[in-house]
Amino acid sequence: MESKFEENVVEIIAVIRRHKIQETKDALDREGFSQMTFYSVHGRGRQKGRGGLANELDPGLNLINNKTDNVADNDFNFLPKRMISLAVMENDADKVIKILIQVNKTGHYGDGKIFVLPVRLVERIRTAEEGLYAIR
Amino acid sequence: MEMVRAIIRPEKEKDVLKALEENGFVSVTKMHIFGRGKQKGIRVGEVVYDELPKLELMIVVQKEDANKVCDIIQENAVTGHIGDGKIFVIPVSKVYTVRTGAEGL
Repeated sequence: MESKFEENVVEIIAVIRRHKIQETKDALDREGFSQMTFYSVHGRGRQKGRGGLANELDPGLNLINNKTDNVADNDFNFLPKRMISLAVMENDADKVIKILIQVNKTGHYGDGKIFVLPVRLVERIRTAEEGLYAIR
Repeated sequence: MEMVRAIIRPEKEKDVLKALEENGFVSVTKMHIFGRGKQKGIRVGEVVYDELPKLELMIVVQKEDANKVCDIIQENAVTGHIGDGKIFVIPVSKVYTVRTGAEGL
């Protein structure tokens, strides 16, 4: 892919637990990555949406987990998650990923996934700056 | 790896998810969104509805599975009328599992 940047920019998309948002924000802020977009999403992973120990970590999920007891094995359900997306320089990506893993790791199923996607162009709408200046 | 982002009709959600699950693609993130397409929404008399409710599915799969996933979504989300949605495939350079910190799907 052809890039307009001297260095590449990547978009980091992380799907994480709902109650970890504040900690994640604080941790990223401390390292100077304050830009991000939040989404409220529903998701499931390889465990087909069964929360595992999720109800201990996030009491709001009790309702969903209790419902799961009565449904057939091939049925599926979704768990509420938060998705955050931020664009950073490629050489900062490892640092951000390390922070995200450190903060969100509980060791139980449902901690989430982190995706790293290449970005070709970033433009700041206010000033029409492109490239490196737009995300600094 | 590739990220498949499909914008489909909300009423087709059950069909598409069932077909994906039967083919072994269980992991999905879904979000409720609003959008319009090339037809600028729907016109009913004087009124134009250009913020139509849609469902976006986000699935990250190995590169060789991306076409299969697209086909499954297309076959199950189609009604033949405008407004069936679009499927986008985006390259993903890295994937991490938070629970283990390991790289890979």
